[in-house]
This record gives sequence, C-alpha cells and structure tokens, in this order.
Amino acid sequence: MQEPSDSPISTITLQVNGVDHRLDVEHRWTLLYVLREVLDLTGSKVGCDRAECGACTVLLGDLPVYACQMLAVQAAGRPILTVESLAQDGALDPVQQAFLDEDGGQCGYCSPGFLMTTKALLDSNPDPTEQEIKFALAGNLCRCNAYGRIITAVKAAAAQRKAS
Amino acid sequence: MTLDVVGQKVERRGLREKLTGEARYSADLKLPGMLYGAVLRSPHPHANVLSIDTSAAASQPGVHAIVTPFDVPAGRIDGDLPILDTRVRYEGDEVAAVAADSPERAAEALSLLNVEYEFLPFVLDADAAVQPGAPEIHPGGNLVGGQPISLERGSVEQGFVEADLVLEEEYLVPPHGPAALEPRAALASWEAGKLTVWKSTRGVHPDRAALSRALQLPESDITVIGPYLGAGFGSKDESRTASLAAVLSQRAGRPVRIEFGRREEFVSGRTRHGARIRTKVGVKADGTITAVHTTAYVDCGAYAASGPGVTRRLGQGSLYLYRCPNARYDGHLVYTNRPVGGSYRALGAPQGHFALESTMDRAAETLGMDPLEFRLKNRVPPEGQPGIRTTPADAIVDTQPVEGGIPFSSNGLEQCLIEGASAFGWGAPKQALPDPTRKIGRGMAMLIYRGGPGNRSSADVRLSRDGSINLLVGTMDVGEGAETVLAQLAAETLGVGYDDVNLVSADTSLTPTAPITAGSTATFSTGTAVVQAAGELRDKILELATVGLEVSADQLEARGGHIYVQGAPERRMSLAEVARHIPGDEMTAYAEIVPGSTEYIVNAFGAHFVEVEVDTLTGKVYIRRYVAAHDSGRILSPAAALNQVEGGISQMLGYTLSEELITDGPTGITLNGSFLEHKCPSILDYNDIQVIFADIVDPVGPMGAKSLGEPPCAAVAPAVANAIYDAIGVRIKELPITPDAILHALDPSAGGSA
Repeated sequence: MQEPSDSPISTITLQVNGVDHRLDVEHRWTLLYVLREVLDLTGSKVGCDRAECGACTVLLGDLPVYACQMLAVQAAGRPILTVESLAQDGALDPVQQAFLDEDGGQCGYCSPGFLMTTKALLDSNPDPTEQEIKFALAGNLCRCNAYGRIITAVKAAAAQRKAS
Repeated sequence: MTLDVVGQKVERRGLREKLTGEARYSADLKLPGMLYGAVLRSPHPHANVLSIDTSAAASQPGVHAIVTPFDVPAGRIDGDLPILDTRVRYEGDEVAAVAADSPERAAEALSLLNVEYEFLPFVLDADAAVQPGAPEIHPGGNLVGGQPISLERGSVEQGFVEADLVLEEEYLVPPHGPAALEPRAALASWEAGKLTVWKSTRGVHPDRAALSRALQLPESDITVIGPYLGAGFGSKDESRTASLAAVLSQRAGRPVRIEFGRREEFVSGRTRHGARIRTKVGVKADGTITAVHTTAYVDCGAYAASGPGVTRRLGQGSLYLYRCPNARYDGHLVYTNRPVGGSYRALGAPQGHFALESTMDRAAETLGMDPLEFRLKNRVPPEGQPGIRTTPADAIVDTQPVEGGIPFSSNGLEQCLIEGASAFGWGAPKQALPDPTRKIGRGMAMLIYRGGPGNRSSADVRLSRDGSINLLVGTMDVGEGAETVLAQLAAETLGVGYDDVNLVSADTSLTPTAPITAGSTATFSTGTAVVQAAGELRDKILELATVGLEVSADQLEARGGHIYVQGAPERRMSLAEVARHIPGDEMTAYAEIVPGSTEYIVNAFGAHFVEVEVDTLTGKVYIRRYVAAHDSGRILSPAAALNQVEGGISQMLGYTLSEELITDGPTGITLNGSFLEHKCPSILDYNDIQVIFADIVDPVGPMGAKSLGEPPCAAVAPAVANAIYDAIGVRIKELPITPDAILHALDPSAGGSA
C-alpha cells in the first residue's frame, strides 16, 4: 500500500496472538496502526491516538500498553496479545463472559481496552479490591459511563477465575 | 399479562461481538483500493475563503482527489450547511478535503493546500451576537428563525401579580462535548453510479435524505448502512463527513474513508448548547406556584443543526413540571462563531432543569419549606396542567405541550418522589464529619421528559418455512440497546425465545424506514411498529395452525415456540411445524405507524436525591450517595435500563462538575479538545448509584414502556448543585462547579477564574 515509501522501512517480526508476522513497516507507524490497517485486527480501537482513552490497550508480555503510543518497530519480537486472542474456538474467556453476563458495556467501543486491562489486572492480582479495580482501570475511559456494570463484571470475572 | 421475554434479563444484542473484537465499527471497515480522506479545517473563527491553490498538493504521489468550495456540488446537507462553503464560521469548520493512499500522505497534502483567507470579525457570545452591528454569521441575522420560540399558557403577568413572592434567577451553562469514544467515520464507495456509505450514524434513512439533498442524487441511488456505533449520545448528526467522503470517492474512482481525530470530534462534532437562562417564579405564602417564566439565550454555534429542537426542549420543564395555570417560555437561539451545538443526550432538558430546579429550591427555602414537601405540593398531577385543550380532539397530542386540559397517559412523579426520598432517607439527620473542613450536603431535583412518541416508524417481521424469524427495522442501535429491546418485543409478541429472533437493522437497502434514534423515541416509535407487525404475523401463524390443530384461531395461543390450543396445552404444534405449511417461501407482516395518542400526553418522570461531601480546602466535591427514581413505564430490559440510568447520571456528573468546551475569547480558538483537558468522568469518579423504577405500565407505550435513555440526564446538575448549596451555603449558578468555582464561592478573593 505504500509505494513508493515516504519514510524509512524495516522488516520486523511482530508476534501477535501467538502468530509471527514478517512485515515491512514504516518506522513512524504505531503498533495500533499496524494491528488495524496492516493486520486487519480491528478489535483494538482508535479513540484518541494520544494516550488519553485506553481503547487501544493491548498486552505486551504481561503489561497493558496503549498501542497508539508505541511504534511497531519497538514491539518487534515481543509477545503481543489483542482482544482477538481472548476467545478460544468460540468459547469466551472468563473475563469476556463476565462482561457479557453483567452487561459490562453499552456501545462496546471501550470494551476491548477494558478487557485487556482487566486481564492484566487479574493475572497479577487475582482478588482485587474495588479500589484496586478502579485504579487499574483508571486509564480506560467509557463514555457510556457503564462503570458500575464494569466494576461488577470485573468482580464476577475474579470470582469465576478463582472458582475454575 | 404474563411476560416471558419482556422484563427479563437478556444478553445485550451485539455485546458478544463487541467483546470478542469481531464487531466492526465504521472506521474498522476497509474496501479494496480504499483511500484515506482528511479534512482541512479553518484555523480562523470567521473568514471568507478567497482562493485555494491545490497544485502542490495535487502533484504529490498518492494523492487521488481534492475537493474545495470552488468545485463542490451545489446541494445542501441542511438549510444553512452546504457541503463546503467559501465562508468559514468557526475554528474547525471544513475548508477542503483530500483523499490519498495513506493517512500520512493525506495529512501531508492538507498542509500543501494554500488557502487565502479574508478575516472577518467574529462573535462568541450569544448576547453580543444579537446586538446591532454584530458580525452577521448567516444572511438574515444571528437570531435563528428571526424570532424567539415563545410559548405561554395562561398569563404569567397575571400570575406574578397574584404571587406573594417573586424570585428571578439567572444561570449559565457551558457547551460541552459528548465525546463519544468512537470518533465519527464514513466510508463511501461508488459502483455503477450508485453510492454506498457506511457511517457512524443515528439514523440511516435521515442520513440518506441528507446525502440526497447534498449530492443532488435520487435516494434510490444511495444506500446508507450503520455498522456498530461507538455511541452517539445524540451528537452524531449528519455533518459534512459523509458528503465529503462521497465526493472524494467519486473523483478518485476508489472507496474513501474519513475518520475524525479526537480534537476534530470535540471541536467539529456537535456539542451540548451553552446557554444563559433566566427563570422567574411566583409563589404564594402557602407554597402554591402562580407563575413560571423562563427566558433562554441559547448559543447555537455556527450552524443551526438541531438547535431549534433543543431550544424548544429547554423550556419543557418550566412549562410542565410544576402544576401552574400560568407558564411562559421564550427561547432565543443565536448563531455565534463557536463550535456547532447539537442534540447531545436529553437535548435542552439538562440546561432548563438546572435553572428551574435550582430556582425552585430557592423558592422552597425562602418560604421555609422542605424542598421535597414543596415539590410534592406542586408537582404536575396525573390529570396534567389546568386549562383547556386546544389540540383538536382527533389529533395526536404533542408530547411537550403548552396547553393544559390534557391528562398524562401515566404519571409516576409522586411515586418517584416518595420512593426515592424513602430509599435515600431524605428526612434522616445528616452525619456530622469529624473534619470541620469537610461539609456534607443533600439536594434533590425532579424531572419531566417527553415519553417517547417520535416520527413515523415501521417494522417488517418474517417467518421462513424453516421456522426462523427475521425482524427488519431501520432503527440504529446507538449503543443504548435498541436492538435488544426491539428483539424482546418481537419475541414476546410472537411467543418465541429472545434468541429466536434474528434482527436486521439500519441498512436502507434492506430495512424499512425509521426515524433517527433521538429524543428517547426508538423504543416507543419502532417498538410500537414491531409489536403491531409481530402481532399481525402471529395472527397469520395462528390461522395457519388451525389446519393442523383443528380449532379456530381464536382458540389458539403462541408461546414458548409452540402454538397451543388454549386450555389444552398437550394439543400443540411447534412453530417450525406450522411454518412448513407456509404457502410461499415466507410469511411476512409489515406495520407502519405514527406513534402517540390522541387522548394523552406521554411523558417520563423522575426524581434524584444526592448527598455530597465538599472538601472546603480543595474545593473537590465527592458524591457520597445517589438515588435515582424513574417512571419510564414498564421496564422492558432491566439490565440495559439500569446501565442507561447509571451511565446517564455518571455522564452528567461530568457536565455538572468538570466538563466545559472552552473557546478562547481573543482568538476564537477552542482550547481543550482532548480528554486530558475536557474532563470526562473516569472509573475513579464513579460511586454507586441506587436506581428505582416506579411500578408503572403505560397504557399507550409498547407493552407499557415509555422513554428512558435521556431522562436520567435532566436532573443531575440541579440535584448536585442543590446539595452543594446545602453543604457550603453558597449557591453556584454556573456549570461546571469545579473545585476552583467552589473555592471562589467560599471566598471571592481566592481562587476563581470566573
């Protein structure tokens, strides 16, 4: 799509959801841009493109990061998980199931970001207090303000993961 | 009526796909050969565009199309809104657009457009804009429509004469951004002279009509499809985006997608209108209200958009929330060189209710009455306002009338006040805090909102020979759950499970006409059509089943996916068995309705109670407890309803305490078009909200429902402002009530940028 190139290009391996992709990327491309426009993984959303809303949150290793704030070349060779990785063969992840059961979203545009941040939270802190949930999710905006249902869903997901 | 699906908790339609990432929103769509569109926006608040030199941009590699006001089709999106204009009227207004094969190249091309502007004087203040000699923003003057919207019942002049006490208060509300997390996007593609547009929309049929006007194409040559919407909050009016994408795509011969950036969404999207509102109330010593008169100066911004409707709606509370023979509203909508106001959730009601319910609190206090007691005494009763009906007997009653003499279809306002106050513990003593710098206060406000009847809508329900069911509606689910509720209504009527109804929505090539999802009307309008169409299909199914079950249709019942003989449930056929007897491929029923009632006003009601804690050292306000009691008729979908009320309140706590879109006076440039600077609530700001639904089944609404999406927004600001007053003893009459405003109120020599 970029002929001729306007910016330096490197060939990198991007490991997304367990699959290695050999890609020619412009250095100025963000991870979010490559996920969405090159790999067509559009679950990660563009809400602000400037680290204000969290709709693009993905996991880099164990850590939630804003994919709009990282260049694709920086993410080369590191394991990246997007929302598309959560459900396996149509079976929802417990975090997704809890958000579905508790109506933890309305328009859903923020949901992928909330899910990835929640997964990172529960992986590191399986039994968070409400205050810990709020602090962990403070970098994700929900403009439907479904916060009450989201908090309930995170608690339900924690309970579900403990039970299983 | 026993209900199997309506009133039950069901899985929100589309939420599963949203959670897996499969759900595609407009900006997630791609087509082969697609180009990226970008819009050049005016850096000046008011200017003439004298010329645009496009040669440098056009010669760039990868640039495929450019559109300027000098070569754009002449049609209009709206009366005052061409696709592009040689006059720009606010900072952020559209000047030109380009399409290129990458976003970077599109941005680069914009920077190479050489525009010659002639600067014009600008005006940012509605009061100044109507003064003689003010810069004229559109031909014909800055007062939109040339005159105010003036409505009166009885005579307020007479009512004020009868009063023992007359209070007059003025309130200021700022513009703020709906800031839907999904920025606007539109993807346009042409094939054989016909246009298809996928866009963030709240109504595909109205958007098709706007594109038809703008591009001067017959509607039959245009398809508009609404993919998932990352919320609208009423703001995703047709702007110029889709028209620009269509023109660029036509010129380039390739699909073009335009996405807004975050600042574009704040500045060039649509805001809630700022306003200066004066409310005057006359009361007798016993607390009886004799007159209410509200005058509003509403800042329209640069284009009218839905400003007239918003301005009309701003007066509804003053005209109808309190029983009073004399009420008047004068709403002035004024063009300024600010970002364009639109129909942000609850359009006008939050502004009007802030002024009204603050003023009424003062009236109660002045009379020495408890705010709850004052409202219980004066609330509008089920029989409506005193007076004589002037609407002809066979005409559908306006849902926001002025006249008296018309009863409500249902009115749970008293129940909301009593049950809300009881759950809140309104009369219980306030807890004293050990820290004297922290003050607790309580406040309340009530609300009225039109109940849902909207424009003509329709529904198409189809049973296939294999027993599967399709429901086709033009309605756009804007994130609130319209698809969920409409599928529930269809399933309930047909006697099948919620998951048995496949719903197809918001595609002008497939679905019947629907109005925009606005004014909390989707459930009422399209829901009524769904119930009617599904009822007709059910009757046809019963008729078909008479052959197999050997009784007449009036002895049959559809329930649980079966057709039963009433009183003999063992005599039954499954719907799939019955469907095999359909003569053709499918059996269909279609209903087109004009919702509403010739006998009743249909309105929703509510009462909010809040306890705040004010830190007088920092000025920060904490919400300690919040109780919201609502009469929205029967609650069709309890989980979605709870989410709507909680979300609406939390969203409006932002309006009340932190949000304002600030346009710089000297330059006319909007300063804070970002989430960091336009402070929307985060999860850290959220505190539990107790939601109560009054036990009301409306006789007009579909299965007893009235509107729900917007009403929660109306009462938040006054309830919180009244509580802050109760806490600190100073009444703040301007939103947002920021820490700075609190500190300034407590000590006018300290803090305070006001």
